[in-house]
Amino acid sequence: MILFENVGFRYDRGAEVLQNVNLEIPAGSFQFITGPSGAGKSSLLRLLYLDEKPTAGRISLFGRDVTTLTRDEIAWFRRRIGVVFQDFRLLDHLTAAENVALPLTVAGVREMAYRDNVTEMLQWVGLGDKMDVRPPELSGGEKQRVAIARAVVASPDIILADEPTGSVDPDMAERIMALFVEMNRLGKTILLASHDVPMIERYKLPITILKDGTIDDGMGHSGRGAAA
Amino acid sequence: MSALGRKGSLIPFTAASGFMMVLLIAAMAFLACFSLAGALGTTRIAGTWTEGLAGAATVRIPAGEEDRARRISLVLDVLRDTDGVADARPLSEKDVADLLTPWFGGTPELGELPAPSIVAVTLDAENEPDPSVVQARLDGASAGAVYDDHGRWRNRAAQAARAIGNLSYWALGLTVLAIMAGVFVVVAIAMSAHKSTIEALRLAGAEDRFIAGLYQKRFFWLGALGGLIGSGIALGAFVGLDTLASVRSALPMLEAPYYWPFVWVGIVVVCGLIAVLAARLAVLTTLRGRA
Repeated sequence: MILFENVGFRYDRGAEVLQNVNLEIPAGSFQFITGPSGAGKSSLLRLLYLDEKPTAGRISLFGRDVTTLTRDEIAWFRRRIGVVFQDFRLLDHLTAAENVALPLTVAGVREMAYRDNVTEMLQWVGLGDKMDVRPPELSGGEKQRVAIARAVVASPDIILADEPTGSVDPDMAERIMALFVEMNRLGKTILLASHDVPMIERYKLPITILKDGTIDDGMGHSGRGAAA
Repeated sequence: MSALGRKGSLIPFTAASGFMMVLLIAAMAFLACFSLAGALGTTRIAGTWTEGLAGAATVRIPAGEEDRARRISLVLDVLRDTDGVADARPLSEKDVADLLTPWFGGTPELGELPAPSIVAVTLDAENEPDPSVVQARLDGASAGAVYDDHGRWRNRAAQAARAIGNLSYWALGLTVLAIMAGVFVVVAIAMSAHKSTIEALRLAGAEDRFIAGLYQKRFFWLGALGGLIGSGIALGAFVGLDTLASVRSALPMLEAPYYWPFVWVGIVVVCGLIAVLAARLAVLTTLRGRA
């Protein structure tokens, strides 16, 4: 489903942040992406949620070369990808419930059709009593949970999360991970970027390690990702 | 739960920018109404002038040694024998004296003046004679008689009225463009202020037309409100002008007040649609420029 072939990426005329990345993520898989700060994890996710285009190589998503997508197709693809951003990217003028409902609203789904779903989602992440609260009044952990609820509410095919448990307590981290596992059981592809080595080790899932913009296969050179 | 699906709330518009937009569109709508009234008025005046002068001509017979009555008789014979002339009638001395009164004051004694004799000609409106042919025939009958079908004045008046009418339409077009430019700039500035919101919408899968729709909805109502205020003031001004000096004959809307509401609603809707079009252009241009 997700295929990176010799992908390179740089911001404007800066240095390459990703070089010769080859990665194959089958549909329905659950993987971690890890590596030190500045290794290119966030850039790789940005390529995946189509916020940027590769400057070299080819990325195939849902069987399509992403560089050939029209603007409308990009929007449609994004609706099939739920993203949890490290900085949450919640809209401060909307309530928590309106933020969670955003992917459904932009997809043209009627409020009546998703009202219960949004309520249930917020209750699940422990924010059932804060549906009408706006993000500036929420703590960091609460914002993160709203962002997670927003990423999964539309039941996307792929869920990308950048440090999704970074701002929550261990109990909530376990609940969030349990949600991702459940989504994966339903056939969703999950890709989590994380520094949390104990958690990564605990789940025993395939890991892609990024180092200096390339995939580290443990042998000192770049190779095909998704090593277990 | 709050109103989740309300599109209007997705972009945090501010009341201040909305107020300025309404003010701008109201001013432009006011000017547009005057341009439109100018265009309609001059077109109507041109029509009145040309219709008033059409179907009539005069023959001027200069005073001379020859017997005045005989010369008039010869001219009448020629005219009555000309195809396209419905009637020809010499003005009486009193009529000519009345015509000259404004220049001489009192009632002038024509016997003391070298005043020309005038023959008023009524033409067949659907078969007006060729002026050069009539003039040639008059030349043969009475030397110095001059045929004038007012064509020169009619054409000049019509040309002048048409030119003013065209200028008014240009002014109207420029006003519409100014509204569009104003909305375009305000939307572009607003989008810059809403950059993070728009980014979040795009990453959530919003298509360009969805984002454009949010701005279109907002600017339709701002445009319509501006149009309502501006055109309302303009209509009030027309009524005020009419009480000061009758402009009723030039402005058809004043003669038929029953269709004022339709004109008013039309202007309001058009202002809203112009704002929608400009907002859409601004959003799509800005989004594609950012991509």
